[in-house]
Amino acid sequence: MSFEQIIVSGNAEQLEESELSLLETLDHVLNSGLVIAGEITISVADIDLVFLGLNVLLSSVEAAQEVLQRRVTDAK
Amino acid sequence: MSLYLYCLLDDDFIVENVIFSGPREGISGSLVTLFIPEDFALLVSDFAGTSVPVTRENVLLHAAVVNAVLPETTPLPFRFGTLTTKAALDSFLAARSQALRAKFELVRGCVEMNVKIIWNREWIEEKSAVEMKPGTAFLTEKRRQIFGSEARVTEATKIAAWLEERLSNSIRETRVNTNTTDKLLVTAAHLVERGSIDEYRSRLKNAQLERPELHFLASGPWPPYSFANIDLEFKTQFGVS
Amino acid sequence: MELSPENPLPAEPEIETSHVEEFVEQLRCVTDSLPSRINIDAHSVEQGLAKLVLTLIEFIRRLLEKQAVRRMEGGDLSPEQIEELGLALMRLEAKLHELKTQFGLKDEDLNLDLGPIGRLI
Repeated sequence: MSFEQIIVSGNAEQLEESELSLLETLDHVLNSGLVIAGEITISVADIDLVFLGLNVLLSSVEAAQEVLQRRVTDAK
Repeated sequence: MSLYLYCLLDDDFIVENVIFSGPREGISGSLVTLFIPEDFALLVSDFAGTSVPVTRENVLLHAAVVNAVLPETTPLPFRFGTLTTKAALDSFLAARSQALRAKFELVRGCVEMNVKIIWNREWIEEKSAVEMKPGTAFLTEKRRQIFGSEARVTEATKIAAWLEERLSNSIRETRVNTNTTDKLLVTAAHLVERGSIDEYRSRLKNAQLERPELHFLASGPWPPYSFANIDLEFKTQFGVS
Repeated sequence: MELSPENPLPAEPEIETSHVEEFVEQLRCVTDSLPSRINIDAHSVEQGLAKLVLTLIEFIRRLLEKQAVRRMEGGDLSPEQIEELGLALMRLEAKLHELKTQFGLKDEDLNLDLGPIGRLI
């Protein structure tokens, strides 16, 4: 049984628990973990502020939204 | 052809004797394979393309692959979506060899456990009596907009310290964030030795009983995502460390 | 290395809470409020480029603001550095506002909802 099917056939409580599990997983794999080279640093007033792997971030940001939207449509 | 990276594996991972029990097929259907350049071992997949679609399927796959080795060894997980070439990987490993070894020293034998704490209460904002210079006043107001009142920040820090103290010997290291959302006061990641998981859990249960007004979420064991990164260790990202 | 056959790890991380809904709500806040795609309106080509550029700058500006606040919170900046940072960002905000006005664009036009994205950075 794929993850998607489990979501669709569950009741409200199971749905929420699955979503919680997904959110927790997202929290880990998108927000943390080793990052490999390809970062840039943006400074303001000589202070380094933003330091990130831009390509990873952009795909994470754009599509984490998709993940959550899909969850909503799957549930309908 | 790029490589998709799942995690780095420690020296103690005995390749021949351990059967990988995770998903055989990884991101975009490519096989999950063990890759051993020079002095390190990694779990990787071949990947054709320039960016990884962040779909639920892929995210869960990544998590499942890394999680599959956890019963045998503590890996250093890569962030989701890490693509590289063999050459770039070699250069990364060579340049970071010492830092990575040190990371393995830190996480060896441990797992990551997480605690999140919600407190449903109103925070009263105080007016600032102190005269501030314009730039500082600007940032202070922005801070209030993002993090809520001073009272909230203080309380969140106190709770984080209290939690740490209650868990004390059962944890090797902590990463804490007290600035997530208004209600989510504390997000903590704890590095816990495998043998100490039970003690950790029981201490956590006792702590919960002590403060019934706080709502807890405990999760784990996870691979040590929050402790892996050797570059992005900002105090800003993780608050008090 | 500690192999613990007496205490085998569960197959997957377990989540334990008595308040599932609450945490779902809060965690959604963290991952949900992400910037929309940059909206290039094909019907107003003239404004199109300005919108694109300003959206990007606005995105970065908000990022920087959030990071500046976090650095300030982190306690590793001197009062002078905080003041410098604040002034620079103040000017940046004012400049952006000026540019938006010049092009007749409002915040909504730039189609941004940053939310607590700082968490991802």
